[in-house]
Parts: sequence; C-alpha cells; structure tokens
Amino acid sequence: MRRSPLYAAAIFVGAFSAFPLLWVLITSLKQRGEIFTETPDLWPNDPQFSRYADVLCDSGGGRALLNSLLVAGTATVLGVAVAALAGYAVARFAFPLRRSFVVAILVTQMFPLVVLIIPLFIVMRTSGLLGTYVGLIIAYLAFTIPLAIWILRGFIETIPVELEEAALVDGATRFSAMLRVVLPLAMPGLATCATFSFINAWNEFMFALTFMNEESKETLPVVLQTFVGRGQTDWAAVMATSVIYTLPVIALFALLRKHLVTGLTSGALKG
Amino acid sequence: MSSLPAEAVTARGSRAPRRMAGRLAGSWSRHGLAIALVAPSAILVGALVAYPVVRTIWLSFTDTGLIDLIDGTGDWVGLENYREVFTDEALRRALVNTVVFGTVAVVVTMVFGTAVALLLNQRFRGRALLTVLVVLPWAMPAIAASSVWRWMFNDQYGLVNWVLVRLGAEQFQDYSWFTDRLPAFTAILVVVVWQSYPFIAFAVLAGLQTLPKDVLDAAKVDGATAWQRFRYVTLPLLRPIIAVLAVISTIWNFKIFDQVYVLAAGVPERATDTAAVAAYRLAFASSEFGLGSALAVVLFLILLAVTLLYLKLLRGQEAT
Repeated sequence: MRRSPLYAAAIFVGAFSAFPLLWVLITSLKQRGEIFTETPDLWPNDPQFSRYADVLCDSGGGRALLNSLLVAGTATVLGVAVAALAGYAVARFAFPLRRSFVVAILVTQMFPLVVLIIPLFIVMRTSGLLGTYVGLIIAYLAFTIPLAIWILRGFIETIPVELEEAALVDGATRFSAMLRVVLPLAMPGLATCATFSFINAWNEFMFALTFMNEESKETLPVVLQTFVGRGQTDWAAVMATSVIYTLPVIALFALLRKHLVTGLTSGALKG
Repeated sequence: MSSLPAEAVTARGSRAPRRMAGRLAGSWSRHGLAIALVAPSAILVGALVAYPVVRTIWLSFTDTGLIDLIDGTGDWVGLENYREVFTDEALRRALVNTVVFGTVAVVVTMVFGTAVALLLNQRFRGRALLTVLVVLPWAMPAIAASSVWRWMFNDQYGLVNWVLVRLGAEQFQDYSWFTDRLPAFTAILVVVVWQSYPFIAFAVLAGLQTLPKDVLDAAKVDGATAWQRFRYVTLPLLRPIIAVLAVISTIWNFKIFDQVYVLAAGVPERATDTAAVAAYRLAFASSEFGLGSALAVVLFLILLAVTLLYLKLLRGQEAT
C-alpha cells in the first residue's frame, strides 16, 4: 500500500527519461503518412529500415558520420597524448607554478566557448585553417586537453610512487619509469578520459558550425541542425540521424558506467 | 566524506609531489623534465584558451567588422560596446534571459535531480532498470535532443500537445510553443532539465550512499517522519555536495547555446536568445565582432564570478 506512490514516481521518471528516445526510434521507422497524424501512432505499422540507408548514403549523413569520427577521434588521441605527459608531471613533481597551472586547467573548463570562438575564427581565417579538419581538431584541443589533464592527474595519483622508485633503483631513467611503469598502470584512466574527450568532441556544435564552411566537411550535429532548420523538415530523416548520432554515445556511456559520476565533477560532459 | 573526486584528488595531490620531491631531491634536471612534460599542454592551452580570451577582451574595445578582419582589427572605441550591451534592448534582454532562465533551470534541475536521487536510493523492484533509463537523456547529444524535442513540441503533430489535450487542457490543441517568449522558454527548460538532471541525480545518489546509516536510523527510532529525516538529517549532510553541484549546474546553464540555437530558431525577434547565442549571432550573422566580443566578455565575467565561488567551495571542503 505504502509502496504504490514509490512505483508511481518510478514509472513517471522512467517514462519521462526514456520515452523521448523510444519515440525517436519509432518515428524514424514510420512511413511519412504515419508521422503527420493528429493522433500519434504509437507503433510503426510498416517499419521503414531503408530510411537509415537513405540518410547514410543520400543525404550526406554517412559522410558527416565519418567526419565526426575523424575529428573527434583525432582530437581525442592528440589531446590525451599531450595531456598524459602533463597529468603525470602535475601528479608527481613539484615544479614552479604547479599550483597555478592546476587552477588554470580547472578554470578553463568553465569558459563559455563563445569567448574563444571569435579570435579562433580570425586566426584560422588568416592562416588558412578555416574549413579544414586540422583547424577543427586543433580547436577541440582547447577543451580536450584541460579535461584530460584533470581526470588523468587523479588517476595517476592513485598509483603508488614506490613502483617508480623501484624502477629507478633498478637503473631506469625517470622518463622510462614513467613510460614503462606508470602509463601501463594508468591505462584504465587513459581509457576513461579518452572516452570523455571523445564524447565532448563528438557532441560539440558551435565550433563545428562556424569553422566547417563546406557541406562536405560538416560533422553530424551540423548536418542534423540543417535538417531541422529547413522549411519542409523531413522529420523521419531527423529522427534516423539522431539515432545514428546518439547510439555511439550510449555505447560509450555503457563502457564508462562506474566512472560516469567520478570523472565528472570537473564539469566534464557538457559543452 | 563526500565521494566527489575533485576534492579527494586535491587533498591527495598536495601531499604526493612533496614526498616525491623530498625523496628524489628536486634538482634542476628534475625540474627540467617536469617542465618539458607540461610544456606541450601549457603552450596549446595558452594558444587555444588564454590568447583567445585576451584577444576577445581586446576586440571588445574595438568596432571590428568583417572588412577589418583582413588587415587585423578595427578602431578603438573604448567602452562604447559595453554601453551598447547594457542599453540596447535586445542585448539587455539576452543578459536578463541568461540570468533568469539560467537560475530557474538550476533550481528545477537541482530539485528534480535530488528527488530522483532519493527515489533511486530506495529499494524497489525495477530499480536497476530505472537507473539505466535515467542515464539515457544524459547520453543524448544536445543537438539530437533539441531536434527531437522540437518535433515533440510541434503545434499540430507534436506529442506534447496531444498528451496535454488528452489530460483535459483543451487550449493546447494546435498550441504553438515557439511564437512567444514564455512558452518557448518553458519548452527549452523541459529539454535542458531533461538532459541535465541525470548527472545531478547520480552525483547526489553517490553522496547519499556515503551517508552514515546510524544517524538516519537514530532519527527513525526517535520517531522522525520521512520528511523530517530528509530536512534535518540528510539535507544538511549533503550540503557540501549540493553546493558544488549547484555551481556546476549554474555554469552549464548560464552558457547554454545548443538547445536555444536549435529550439528557438524561429522565435520572433529572437526574444529567447541567451547571451551566448546573441554574442554568436552578433559576430557570425551580423559581423559585429567587437560588439559580440563585448557581450561574450560580460557573460565570461558572470561565469568567472560563479567559478571563483566554485573554487572557494572546493577549498572550503578541502579544509574540513
């Protein structure tokens, strides 16, 4: 008896959270006639799986998917590689301005990207990087590096210093102790922060909208946004593209599970 | 006492390097390695974050337009752009939108997120499933979520109006959400809360699970009602976590861009533009780079104030 409000609340929260996603999936499979109905049809009577093929092959969705993978993937690899070195140094050494560096890294994550975008646009315009993959990837390092340093530092600090010291006693150099002893142990941390970096770059919209001025180089969020902005919006295509765009992130969230909240209080998963 | 890593990490961080430095005797060559390791990150962050911030501040004192981009910068105009930001009706409205909408979004997200955390902290059948369902909105990219909700808020075929009419609110038949400021913001609020409450819920839940059981049991034995236990025991113990989350949430909601850009694309007179969106449009739709920079700087200063508060909170927790 006393349990029923609990279940009512649980059902409400579950429906509010998951129904929009279910609705995307359903709508993406509907025929056009079933989408524009006064009374919403809760099930596609004749599922149109071909729509996914249409979106991927004809409407530029497939190219955008590849562009997104390329840009987010490269920005992640570069960002994590550079950040791993700094994360290690910050966790292990006392050096001049160390504390200022850490605070600066934390503070940069709070910046609204709109504060950075105008100068970045001007510089890219003059240096010919506008509309190139390289330009967008470099711009993404502005947030992947600080985030990765912040997360990695925490992971490296959990690795006992004694292991490195043992390697040093055995005649290893500082640098090789870092590469051979610490980095392998920090692999879970590297994987976690690579995942966070990738999701952030994958989700990013404002830079992609501004710097990629050619249709052939647009990433998924930009293509999706142009679908919605059209006069006669093809809602089925919007839904199918949204599914394609969201699925990789859901997969990565499943991988992250335990680290979702832990890696996150630094403000990680939002633009 | 809390499970927030930022705090744990900082507390640990201040000890580890000192011990290391003591044992390894920090000679110059050691410093050299540290500096070499930090240098690539420092240079890139400097070039991609510090330099743009400084340049944006500088641009905000100029009248830089599209033509000026070719040879550098426009003319120095002093505080003229800032005067315009605070006197121009549309720009002032964008600032008001940012602060008012941001604050409402923070309050609603925090209250709903905490409520869901309390729910997930109960034992009931299907809890594991609910946990998975709650994560889903968080995993959806903002542009995808905004596109999808825009369809659900469609006046004729949208699911939201259909449900509201079925619930007896006849006035929502063919109701248009994006022709007026208040309904448009209501729709944006739903989308923003939908996307950001899961993080709050899971962070508060993590906090709830570290609370000392005996204190809550003692309150129960003493006959405190569920509300009293929440109000006088749980909430005070959670205060540090909730404070940090509120600041993070404020930072997110004040710089909101994606949802407004997609959802409110058709709102007349851009009445729902927030500061980030207005600054962006000034720069990239009207080529008023100077004025856009000034608005961006004002937003930046507001966020900086919030960030300083955040650092102070973190440090306060470190001390205890």
